[in-house]
Amino acid sequence: MKLLLALLRRDLILAARQGGGVGTALGFFLTVLVLLPIGIGPDQVTLQRLAPGILWITLLLSVLLSADRIFQQDFEDGSLEIMVMAPASLELVALTKAIAHWLSTSLPLSIAAPFLGILLNLRTEIIWPLTLAMVLGSSALSLLASIGASLTLNLRRGGLLISILVLPLYVPVLVFGMSATTGNPEVIAPSLLILAAITLASLVLAPIAAAAALRAYLK
Amino acid sequence: MQQFANPTRFLSLANRALPTIWVVTIILFAIGLYGALVSAPPDYQQGETVRIMFVHVPAAWLAMLVYTVMALASAVAIIFRHPLADVAAKTAAPIGAVFCFLALATGSLWGKPMWGAWWVWDARLTSMFVLFLLYVGYIAIWQAIEEPTRAAMIARIVALVGFVNIPIIKFSVDWWNTLHQPASVLRMDGSTIDWSIRWPLLVLGLAYSFLFLALHLMSMRSEIATRKLRNLQIARSGEA
Amino acid sequence: MDWNADHASFVAAAYALSLAFIAGLIIYVFSRDARARKRLAQFQETKK
Repeated sequence: MKLLLALLRRDLILAARQGGGVGTALGFFLTVLVLLPIGIGPDQVTLQRLAPGILWITLLLSVLLSADRIFQQDFEDGSLEIMVMAPASLELVALTKAIAHWLSTSLPLSIAAPFLGILLNLRTEIIWPLTLAMVLGSSALSLLASIGASLTLNLRRGGLLISILVLPLYVPVLVFGMSATTGNPEVIAPSLLILAAITLASLVLAPIAAAAALRAYLK
Repeated sequence: MQQFANPTRFLSLANRALPTIWVVTIILFAIGLYGALVSAPPDYQQGETVRIMFVHVPAAWLAMLVYTVMALASAVAIIFRHPLADVAAKTAAPIGAVFCFLALATGSLWGKPMWGAWWVWDARLTSMFVLFLLYVGYIAIWQAIEEPTRAAMIARIVALVGFVNIPIIKFSVDWWNTLHQPASVLRMDGSTIDWSIRWPLLVLGLAYSFLFLALHLMSMRSEIATRKLRNLQIARSGEA
Repeated sequence: MDWNADHASFVAAAYALSLAFIAGLIIYVFSRDARARKRLAQFQETKK
């Protein structure tokens, strides 16, 4: 446990010091937010209707595009091989690294995103439900991204491949994330509960799958 | 189970069974197509368009069945380290992807006259589309990783992760769909279909299954030959 | 099947498309099988 905490701390410090962490992801997020109204048109009513969907999809893409950082660097400099030999199981190492990714990238993004929605004329009363759903959903996003990152470790053209592999798995998060923010008032609570259930399921599935994939690459 | 583990034994079995399987496939297709195009009556509501169902529904069944076969083979590969399981999973994928594409395309051809649009974001169409993406991802991983044993290990995980997620995706898409549009869509309710329409559907479903079996066995045979060739080449370059 | 009915072309297109893709798949599988087995046989012959 101490080991895992140390690993978590190390990953967070690395993310903070190296750049390419939340700063870059936020930059990407903002860039997409500028491009979309240009593509859709500046009409306030249209933007207001599309805003939650745009924010969710931009969040999915930002998390996905930062996913390769979860394992790649540690694989390249050899520290992943040392982690395999560590007394902690590889599943827990994978889980810890996914949590580090969540804390350093997805969580800040999911807190910032609803407020950036103001740029899209987002209805102010859904800012809080959106934040809640995004914080909950983003943990599943990071966990699923860790599966994709481990599967495409050390692959050329891994970036495109990870999108094909992971984005279909993001469908449930997107569906319930949206119904928790824009659905009828009576579906908001069940949607949030299902979102939590998806997070718990990925909490079990992702470390097992990611560790199995890492073992295949480290052999 | 163990007696199929030996590739040589599997090959001799497959070689013996394949002619029979092809004959059965052709007979089933002949009967099924007769039923579909000649004997089945046009639907009182959908008219002749209902006949698209006879090629659409079996393709959709097979797309789901083949992914299940792939996932089961991957599980067998992990649990029993069965040498043929990875071959089975790998060669099933392109066949399943073609069936999945056909299900989508014929569904679209049915949708245009029925719904007035080539594509409708109906729950079934959407989950089928996601299934197609899962096939594409699985095939892409085999192509991206050069080293065969590593590719096999990674592909197993991709297949199983996809398989675990299919029910969750299906559930969420159904939920999403009921939120967005009322259930006004025409439904093919199994129990209400008349027997004259049901039997060609079942025969064609069987015909598609046998077609898959034949193509799968042949693909496995080519894959085994390719692997053997590769191993022999490596062995020879080692000698020289 | 009444080929003069409404939307009959859609039915024809669906069957033609299925036929085309399945035929393509069969040809692909057969040619790959023949090629793979021929190469293996050739290699094994040159070995002797």
